[in-house]
Amino acid sequence: MSITYHENNNTGFIEFDQKDSKVNLLSAEILKELAAALEEARRKPHLKALVIASKKKDVFIAGADIKEIEGITQPEEGRQKAKAGQGILNKLEDLPVPTIAVIDGVALGGGCELALACQYRLATFNEKVRIGLPEVNLGIFPAFGGTYRLPRLIGLPEAMTMILTGKPVDAKKALRLGLVDRLAPQNGLDRSLNEFIEDILKGRIISNKYARRKARGLPAFLETSFLGQWLIFRRSVQSVLKNTKGFYPAPLQAIAVIKKNFYLDRTKGLEAEARGFGELATTAISKNLIHVFYISEQCRKLTVEGVSPARIEKCGVLGAGVMGGGIAQLLSYSDIWVRLKDINYDALALGVRSAAKLYRDAVKKRRMKPHEAVVKMDKITTTLDYSGFTNADIVIEAVVENMEVKRKVFRELSAAVGPQTILATNTSALSVTEMAKETKDPAKVIGLHFFNPVHKMPLVEIITTAHTSKETLASTLTLVKRLGKTPIVVKDSCGFVVNRILLGYINEAGRLLEEGLSIVAVDKIMTDFGMPMGPFTLTDEVGLDVGSKVLHILEKGLGERFKPVDIFEKVCARGFLGKKSGKGFYLYQGQHVPNPAVTAGTKPGDGAASDNEEALRRMLYLMINEAARCLEEGIVDAPGAIDVGMIFGTGFPAFHGGLLRYADTIGLAPIVAELNRLRDKFQAERFRPAAYLMKLQDEKKKFYQ
Amino acid sequence: MERIAIIEGIRTPFCKMGTEFKDLDAQELGRIATRELLERTGIAPRQIDEVIFGNVSQPADAANIARVISLLSGIPKTVPAYTVHRNCASGIEAAVQAAMKIQLEQGSCYIAGGTESMSNIPFYLSKELKEILTNLSRAKTFPQKLQTLSQIRPAYLKPRVGLEMGLTDPVCGMIMGLTAEVLAKEFGITREEQDAFALESHLRALRGKTLLREEIVPVIPPPKYRSAVEHDNGPREGQRLEALAKLKPYFDRRSGTVTVGNSSQVTDGAAALLIASEQKAKELNLKPLGFIKAYAFVGVEPHRMGIGPAHAIPQVLKKAGMRLQDIQAIEINEAFATQVLACLKALDSAAFAKEFGYEGYTGAIDRNILNVNGGAIALGHPVGTTGARLILTMLKHMNRHNLNTGLISLCVGGGQGAAVILER
Repeated sequence: MSITYHENNNTGFIEFDQKDSKVNLLSAEILKELAAALEEARRKPHLKALVIASKKKDVFIAGADIKEIEGITQPEEGRQKAKAGQGILNKLEDLPVPTIAVIDGVALGGGCELALACQYRLATFNEKVRIGLPEVNLGIFPAFGGTYRLPRLIGLPEAMTMILTGKPVDAKKALRLGLVDRLAPQNGLDRSLNEFIEDILKGRIISNKYARRKARGLPAFLETSFLGQWLIFRRSVQSVLKNTKGFYPAPLQAIAVIKKNFYLDRTKGLEAEARGFGELATTAISKNLIHVFYISEQCRKLTVEGVSPARIEKCGVLGAGVMGGGIAQLLSYSDIWVRLKDINYDALALGVRSAAKLYRDAVKKRRMKPHEAVVKMDKITTTLDYSGFTNADIVIEAVVENMEVKRKVFRELSAAVGPQTILATNTSALSVTEMAKETKDPAKVIGLHFFNPVHKMPLVEIITTAHTSKETLASTLTLVKRLGKTPIVVKDSCGFVVNRILLGYINEAGRLLEEGLSIVAVDKIMTDFGMPMGPFTLTDEVGLDVGSKVLHILEKGLGERFKPVDIFEKVCARGFLGKKSGKGFYLYQGQHVPNPAVTAGTKPGDGAASDNEEALRRMLYLMINEAARCLEEGIVDAPGAIDVGMIFGTGFPAFHGGLLRYADTIGLAPIVAELNRLRDKFQAERFRPAAYLMKLQDEKKKFYQ
Repeated sequence: MERIAIIEGIRTPFCKMGTEFKDLDAQELGRIATRELLERTGIAPRQIDEVIFGNVSQPADAANIARVISLLSGIPKTVPAYTVHRNCASGIEAAVQAAMKIQLEQGSCYIAGGTESMSNIPFYLSKELKEILTNLSRAKTFPQKLQTLSQIRPAYLKPRVGLEMGLTDPVCGMIMGLTAEVLAKEFGITREEQDAFALESHLRALRGKTLLREEIVPVIPPPKYRSAVEHDNGPREGQRLEALAKLKPYFDRRSGTVTVGNSSQVTDGAAALLIASEQKAKELNLKPLGFIKAYAFVGVEPHRMGIGPAHAIPQVLKKAGMRLQDIQAIEINEAFATQVLACLKALDSAAFAKEFGYEGYTGAIDRNILNVNGGAIALGHPVGTTGARLILTMLKHMNRHNLNTGLISLCVGGGQGAAVILER
């Protein structure tokens, strides 16, 4: 049994304590147990109150069982599942005694909806309290009455924000929103609960949960007038479309359902919710998003068996450029001391300035209090020499991408740091092994490839060499997780995974441009596919010089197929370096239009060798082919790492489930056939299908098996 | 008793009030020096037994500023901290507190320093305005509020300048500059002598610029973080005697001789010292810059506060069992040129020595060993910091020239003198 019922002083207690689990999930099984417990409570006329609580530490109920949602294949099946849950929560809501959810930890998804069905909610001051409805992240929406009850409880605008962004709120915010009625200290929770019950019984808290919140002024007008509500719905649709470009149906469906059931009674409203859920739960997008959830959770939970990670308190950062400055800020944000070194104070000032700007913006947007920003900013100190490096736990090097310079830096570092110091390089493509050779202890050397802009990009590639020790990897993994990033572990090899796959695609985009497709057309093909930006916009963001440099490294390490196309070299040579120089493939001064000088000497558009569909396949299949090579070479051990890398490192559309999941959806046979066809058509070896791909095809397997 | 080692020290550049450091709070300045001290020495913060900082203006938003500095610098929260205030000698007081605590075996390793942001000393509301504003917050109805507000008179809006109040002695009623004028008259020190002394301070500071760099951590100041301040910005290139002579007396406009040119500058800056018992320094494998041999504090008349060093110096020599000629380098803080010159005259006078019983402990001070790299007239005088700065500057100088003994001394607002003898 995962749910127990007992009574104390005429108060009933339903307590969740799922067997063999750290958390409570609202599985079908447990819902049944809950139904039975509620039935038992209903038959006790002497009860004065019913409390629903959890015996797990820091967890109320973490959500529904995702496996069950993943298993839904028919809309009707989804509808039935939702109805079953709704029915049980309705039972809870309809109990004649006051019902109280005691939330001392995470209450997400179904857990939040269960709490909403209670008449009262008491949360604790526990920092771990998170209440929210994250369902949209899985391509669905809350369907145990969440879309019906939440807008009524906390008001339409706030409820829409919570449901459409999926972002949970902490205890303080929950109290402010009216999502909980009171906060109590964890210590002496029983006494606080008794007082709360006393207050309820004495009528000190309004018994109708939807009538407790008082809105005033403009917000009240917006919420209560039909016109105001219409405006809120309209604005929500606009903002969702802006954020998702229409690729994600769940938030739009959620708005549609709320717009409907906001004006319906409970029975009809919940029916609308259940039906909408059933439709969404069977979409490929939802399945893909669930897949992405699983593989990214896997990466976030990566650990190294048998070793304990060293605690990282202080980090040396070499190079205060865009990456070094960004890394310094990120570390300080996670309360790690930073010793930032560069060759002159102007360079250091640049790094410090960029960090300060991020903190200033955070304060301006009220994401941080001014004193918090000061305390964190104060964690960055600057130096021109290696003073303060001896006792660093880790040093992250982010100097210019030049092997000679990197070698020199590692030689110097090896002499300057202590025996405990991990030496990490933030190279995007260079050999970590080569750098490690310059040090006294190559076991301490590892690659840490952050993406630009560091504070925003959720991925870090961790690169291990043959010498990297388990301890070094374990400590680095812990650090990356502490920084709030998702790690993928990659074996040292040219270009690692993300850049290797991405740059083949960028190069192919360059070929399409040379063949006569326009800049805008190629970019649009990819944004229509779901990429956050097209290849040329991306190149402008990163800098053409950076892109071309990495391509050269890849060409040297991996061969001809990465030889930068002429147009990159030409454009680069003319000083069009992208956004940073004001001109790249696009112009950034004044109007944002394609740079006419880029395509001036090329063939006119009508002579293009590929139509749009073929162009898309050329770019995508080259990526898939390169990913297959990475698996073949054993650089990563599973397709999940590649998909996580591409989604979080390059913005590859999550609704496709990632690059290799997308390949699986298309089918490997058609991909191999198309690659062969392209190889013949263009007489180009780069399209030759990788052996790994052929093998999977021959064995009728998929990347994910 | 165990010797008190000063292991290392560091300070921020000194910047004139209202210039590059105007957006750095005193706690931030102190944090920069303290953190840099930890970084450069490589000492584990948990080794620190206590943090002691001197500070005069005591910012309202950083009560017990030493504790704020300690926490902002990454020293464990379990390490206590307290702030000391002995006016201009606060920085010395912090170091002396550490020394005494080590000798009392209360601990063996301290961070002591001083910090001051004179740019951030607030203006105060007039008492009348304060009362009206207090009443306003109590007023309930709108007419009541209006009625309260209507009591404001233009004169009430004149703020009281915190800096000026801080520099004015509440007992004798004189602002510091006027106490310097008292000494100028008493010792017959001319405007020309003072200006020449001031010029020499600038010339020496400019000559010593690269040397002083050894004790300075460059600071990239907010809010713009545009570039690093690597040097003190007080010393004036191309300072000429004629230009100094043109300045009007500031405190006594009619008959005075003290100008802003021959007085110390109002300045922002902080300094931090790592102080430990000799034994602890050995354990930590850190080589000390030098040791504190003796210290002395004395009281004098508030309206003659600038004479403090003339009393503190013989007294500290007596304590150390040393003669003036045993001392190889001297720093006397240049609060005012006239005040330093008055001290030199007094120390060189047999009558003065006889009157106070200092025979054998006074004498002429060779100007070539006094304030060799300039003083507060050129570098500035962030009041709470200067004492710690003098110890640091002296120790670096002694190490540079392989000197064994050095003496530092300051006059102290309110009528005190302080002196410390350092040795290697």
